[in-house]
Order: sequence, then C-alpha cells, then structure tokens
Amino acid sequence: MLHLLKKKPFIILLVTIVLFIVMGITSKYNSKLGWFGNLFNTIVSPIQNVLTFTGNKVDRTLSYFNDNKKIREENDNLKKRIDELEKENEDLKELKTRNDMLLEALNIKNQLKEFDYISTNIIAKDPGNWFNIFTIDKGSTNAVNNNSVVVASKGLVGRVMVSGPFSAKVISIIDIDSSVSARLTKNRGLVDVKGDITLRDQGLCKMYNIDPGVDIAVGDSVETSGVGGIFPKGIKIGEIKEIRQVNNELDRYAIIEPAVDFNRLEDVFVLKSKK
Amino acid sequence: MRSRIVFAASGIIIFLLLQTTILEYIEINNIKPNLLLVFIVSVALLRGNLEGAVNGFFAGLTWDIVSGKVIGFYALLGMYLGLVVGSLNKRIYRDNIFVALFFTFSSSIVYETVVYFFGVFLKGNTDYINSFTKIIFPEALYNTASAILIFYIVVRADRRINKAQKLLRKY
Repeated sequence: MLHLLKKKPFIILLVTIVLFIVMGITSKYNSKLGWFGNLFNTIVSPIQNVLTFTGNKVDRTLSYFNDNKKIREENDNLKKRIDELEKENEDLKELKTRNDMLLEALNIKNQLKEFDYISTNIIAKDPGNWFNIFTIDKGSTNAVNNNSVVVASKGLVGRVMVSGPFSAKVISIIDIDSSVSARLTKNRGLVDVKGDITLRDQGLCKMYNIDPGVDIAVGDSVETSGVGGIFPKGIKIGEIKEIRQVNNELDRYAIIEPAVDFNRLEDVFVLKSKK
Repeated sequence: MRSRIVFAASGIIIFLLLQTTILEYIEINNIKPNLLLVFIVSVALLRGNLEGAVNGFFAGLTWDIVSGKVIGFYALLGMYLGLVVGSLNKRIYRDNIFVALFFTFSSSIVYETVVYFFGVFLKGNTDYINSFTKIIFPEALYNTASAILIFYIVVRADRRINKAQKLLRKY
C-alpha cells in the first residue's frame, strides 16, 4: 500500500478525488470548510483594500485634468436643478407626511424601513471574465451575514454569498447564477430576473417567466417582490430596456437595465435588520 | 528549494492581488488577462510537471477562495494545466519565448473552454460561438501579450535561483 503513495499518477488521482469531495461539501450552503477561505481572505483583504483605494485615487487624479470644463458646465446645470428640486421637495414633504399618516391608519408596513444600512467599500472585483462576484470590506463582525442583501444608492446590487470575519463575497444580480424574484411596479405581475452571459459585460440582465396575460412595455420599472425570503419587498432593480419574442407572442423575455451601473460600482450598502 | 517556494508563493499572491484590484483599469472591451494562468504555464514550462502541478494547484486554490462558487474547481483545473504543460516541456526548447507564447495561447483557450463548459454551458447557455468570440479568444490574445512580460520575469528569477544554488554547491 505504501509504495503506491510514491507513484505520481496515484497521488494525482488521490488529490482529484479529495478535491471532488471538497467541491461537493463547499457547494452546500454554510459549509464548515469556509474557515479556510476566511483565513486567506483575512490576510489578503487589507492589501486588496490599499490597492483598490490607490487605483481609484489614481484614476480620479488622471480624470481630474480632463474633466475640468465638463464639470463646470455640469455644475451650472446642477445648480439650476437644485433650485427646481428644492421647490419640488417642499411639495413632496407635505405629501410624505400625509402618506405616512394614511399608511399608519391602514396598517401597511414598509419593509425597507425595518433595515439599517451598513456602508461598505468594494475591495476586490472578480478576477475572471465569466462571473460577477466581488469582495466587500465588512464581514460577520459587522453583522454582514450569508444572504444579507446588498444595495447601492440607486437599487439592488446582489446578496452576500459567503461572509468571513472581515470581508464578504457578494454575488451580483448580473451573475449567471443569480436569480431574483421580481415584479413590475406598474401592475404587480411576478417575474424572475436572472443574469446572462452575453449581457453581463454590458451590465444588463434578463427577465424570465413573464405571464402571458401581463402587460409590459419598454421603460417599465421592476422591483423585488419579496417572494423567496432573501430579498425584502420593494427594492428597485431597474427598467425594461427591450422586449424579445422567442417563438410566438406568448413566449417572451425582456432585457433589464439595472438601476445600478455595475461597471462603476465603488460603495455599496448592506441591509441589516433592526430586530 | 526554499527560494523556489518563496518565489512561487509570492508570484501567486502578487498576481492574484493585481488580478482582483487594479487590473480592471487595463480592461479592453471588458476583458482582462488571466495573469495566474500565464504564471502557471510559465512555471510549468520551466520547471516540469511536478512543480507545475503543485504551483497550479495553489494558484487555483487562491482563485477559488477569492471568486469561486465552490472550493476546489479552479485548484483542480490549475493542477491539471500545470501537469500537462509541464509534462510536455522535456521535448521542446524550454526558455524559448515563442514556445511560451504558443503554450499560453493554446492553454488559455482550453482552460477557458473548460470553465465555460462547467460554469456556463451546464447552466443552460449553449451558445459557445458567442462566448468564444466575445470572451475566450480575446482573453487568449490578451494572455499571450501579457505572457511576454511574465515569462521574462519567471525566466530571470529561475536563472538567478539556479545560479545561487550552484554557488552554494561550490562551497
């Protein structure tokens, strides 16, 4: 038996089998082998943090010289916009107080109000060209747990796949393994939003399982439905960009432009339940 | 031996850190090169199948930890890549740059096709031609370009370690 251990093919076969077993174990949710990855990530993540930070700084410094004129123009436009918005804001505040009163009277709860927002930075992007998994700089010590929901200021980003003590891996909604139960804001029709390999590099995703009776149009807004229990109800995902028929009128899917720009993502928030 | 381990380990860590952080700034059409793959191929070409396989295994394992959906997939792939490329190195000129470029190009295509098969094809997307023209082929070209630099670094380090070991043996 021992002489077998000295032969190369045998060792390779052994390693292969062990790796297959490890794959099986880790593909299961919440596996015990996670500590191993956590250890490595804990060592590496500070360095990643520094590198990403410097990268962003250099990028910004370089663009500083190009953008000067553009920024001045933009500044003027934005000032005008602020005036308009302030006026609008006053009206909306009044509406909000009235809305809150009515909601309370009718006993409707806004699910998003039950969450705190934990601010985090993205410290590492996906190394390859196929998937869209990134690392953030907060982990289970900051109440970022497996399946915590990750959002940006504009909309849904994804969910935490594995969380270590000081960092966590996030799978974004444009990854091909991601599936989110969603619905149309307009008429509450339930759909599924999934990532797609051909749309990934443009930062888009696909909408499946559209009920034949549901009326959809380009520009319709899509939000999370709350079905499935991971994502709370009412987070904006994006807008319908294009509707495609597959074989006939009833079989169709839509391409969604997420509210979040996945190519320029830097700061994200993790939702933490207040309870 | 110890200096080789230090070199391989620091190579893996440095290329992985570059890969995950600042490499996105040199993306062309949203495609970035796979520096770790180039590193695995370079080491395997110069050092043979045993060191190639061990190096590939650990490089793949770090990739698994940073981005994998299961742990072990890229480790397995890296190990076999190092093993196969390392086994072929006895019959060719090992430190010829064109041999290295050819091996980088062809192993990029094979490697990414395997990743495509298990990561994408089995999940329902069967449009290989599209993935090939949009991701696999551009990435292989980009890998080949970056191999010029990485192979040069690995060759230089290898020569330096060899020289140091010869000196040690003298005394």
